Amino acid sequence: MTREPNLATFPTDFNKWVNTRLFDVIPLGVAVIDRKYDLVYANDTFEQLFGSWKNRKCYSVYKGKDSMCAYCESADTFKDGVSRVNEESGYDKDGRYISYLQHSTPIVDESGHIPYLLHVFTNITEATQIRDEHQILFDQVPCNILLLDKNFRIVKVNKQLKDWFGDIEGKHCYEALKGVEDKCADCTARQTFADGQIQTGYHVWKSKKGKTFHLHVITIPLRRKDGSFDLVLEMAVDVTQTLNLQERLKFANTFLETIISTSMDGIFAVDDKWRVTIFNPSARKFFKVRDKQVVSREELVAMLPEGFLTQVSEWPGHVYLPEAEVKTIKGEAFPVRLVGNKLMAEDGTIGMAFSVQDLREIKQLEKDKIEAERLAAVGHTVAGLSHGIKNLITALEGGMYMLNSGLTKGDIERIQKGMEMLVRNIERISMFVKAFLSFSKGRQIQAKICDPAQIAKEVVELYSVKAEELDIKLKNETIGNIDPAPIDYESMHECLTNLVGNAIDACQVSDGPGCLVTVKTFEEYGTIIYEVTDNGCGMDYEVKKKIFTTFFTTKGLGGFGLGLLMTKKIVQEHGGRIYLESRPGEGTTFRISLPRRHLPKIIEKKAPN
Amino acid sequence: MSKNKKILIIEDEKDVLAYFEALFQDNGYDTVVAEDGVKGFELAKSEKPDLIALDVTMPKQSGLKTYRLYKRDSELKHIPVIIITAGDDSFKLIFDEHMEVAPPEGIFDKPFDPHKLLKAVAELLSS
Repeated sequence: MTREPNLATFPTDFNKWVNTRLFDVIPLGVAVIDRKYDLVYANDTFEQLFGSWKNRKCYSVYKGKDSMCAYCESADTFKDGVSRVNEESGYDKDGRYISYLQHSTPIVDESGHIPYLLHVFTNITEATQIRDEHQILFDQVPCNILLLDKNFRIVKVNKQLKDWFGDIEGKHCYEALKGVEDKCADCTARQTFADGQIQTGYHVWKSKKGKTFHLHVITIPLRRKDGSFDLVLEMAVDVTQTLNLQERLKFANTFLETIISTSMDGIFAVDDKWRVTIFNPSARKFFKVRDKQVVSREELVAMLPEGFLTQVSEWPGHVYLPEAEVKTIKGEAFPVRLVGNKLMAEDGTIGMAFSVQDLREIKQLEKDKIEAERLAAVGHTVAGLSHGIKNLITALEGGMYMLNSGLTKGDIERIQKGMEMLVRNIERISMFVKAFLSFSKGRQIQAKICDPAQIAKEVVELYSVKAEELDIKLKNETIGNIDPAPIDYESMHECLTNLVGNAIDACQVSDGPGCLVTVKTFEEYGTIIYEVTDNGCGMDYEVKKKIFTTFFTTKGLGGFGLGLLMTKKIVQEHGGRIYLESRPGEGTTFRISLPRRHLPKIIEKKAPN
Repeated sequence: MSKNKKILIIEDEKDVLAYFEALFQDNGYDTVVAEDGVKGFELAKSEKPDLIALDVTMPKQSGLKTYRLYKRDSELKHIPVIIITAGDDSFKLIFDEHMEVAPPEGIFDKPFDPHKLLKAVAELLSS
């Protein structure tokens, strides 16, 4: 059963309660100060907020100060008796910074004096913090924010927009932001005013300084509790840079696509899972892949040299194969130059890109060139051959003349001489024919791995005795370290023997003292080089021109003119070149250069059982 | 003193040289011989021959170069020169294009007809 309040005693009890309890239960701090600013009364809520207050000054309790505030609202109220409300900040009992509203009301006695002031406090610390945070957000968010009313006047703008366009509050948005006199046809805010929905749009603003901004715009109705609204919040994000970047990206993309699709080199790429993402027209031609046919990861692996994809994916830089064998999608092998690059992004590998150059045409051209040179050499050889034969025939005719005229004259000595000439030149013809046959037949190059410097060393040793006899200084120099290489040892030995022999002969016919023949062996950029230098008689232009191409000799019938021709043939069969530098009277340098990548392949020989 | 005409033979091949020597001597000429172009030029200066028979392909100094030296030398340029060579015809073009001197008085290919050679020598020496 509920006990009914005692209505008879209620007014008395109520007044008593108001006098003694009311101030302690209201959720506002209440305090009273006297004219000395001493606190003379405070309720429980006040004490909970500010702590102990008895016998303390207001400024000490509210603000933690030792003296009066420079500007004191209470002093004014004591003076003029007008109530005041003020937003203040101070410190709570635990020393925390607080914001509060302070009402100062005068307590007037019967004579009209103001002996006390009533202070009522509302703690607004939380609300203030939220409000400040909102302001910061409003101003510092990296986009433009403005509030518009139904007449498209700007009510408020955030700091960024103010920085861009200055003080535009109160102006029409279309005037302030676009410099036009009428509302825009595609106004996003108007759509929101019309249907109350959030709308988006794209707008171009122009500042007074003529700068253009591209903006993505969102308009939001600022609704009251009841759903009605008068204002629209417009947020505009600057997309100028994004648009520029998009434009540049588009250009870069078009550029790359054009390059890739028109490149003479095959270009293809895979992603991080080795799935083929690009396979350009040239690559399709080389690898015989139809248009639009998708190359699977497995097919790509089978087309490339074994382990190549793994090598590229694990290698820090790019992988370059100057001569590699790849296969078409149908499995036909062909030679290419191949480059693989790992594609790196900040957070790791995003794939691999490859470029491939078809070497079939180049190989064919190389072959054609060697064949053409061979045919030219045959032509020169025939011409040279006729020169040698004509000389021999003349010598034979000379022998016949001596024999005949000797017989006519009865000159035994002359008959003897004629016979010797005939025998000697018939012998020469026979040697000549044998040498020519051996040249024209040649022999198959049989390369085996050997030390290039060792060949030079042996040849120099071979000639050392002869050189000493002739008082010619013969030197062998190996410069740097030269790795073993696939060379036909005997053939290269023959080449160097020819060159050193020639150099010694050149020194012999030279008049100058201090004859020197030097053989140098060294390697430069993957090319093995032999140099045979003499300081002998040198050669003039006419001799240099003919030296490699014919059965050319300056040694009469003592030499067949085959040595250098043979040397050139052997060097060519090793994929190399032979050069000559010579000046009459100063000497001659022959240089054999053998690029390692052109050296013959090793013919595997099965060991006899 | 012999009143025979003197022929300078320049030829590096000994057997061919011996042939020329015998052929010219048998037909009433005196001969001096050189086995290369350098010696051949020196001998021409010292011996003042009436005719020079010159090979082309020789050590030290080719016949073509030697020929050029003769024809640029005021003392020697009037001496008739017969070039006798085993080379192909291509060298003859050199006289048109590169020699900058008059072509030789006679050119014979090896092997040569000795009668024709002797006839040419006789004609050059009688004029």
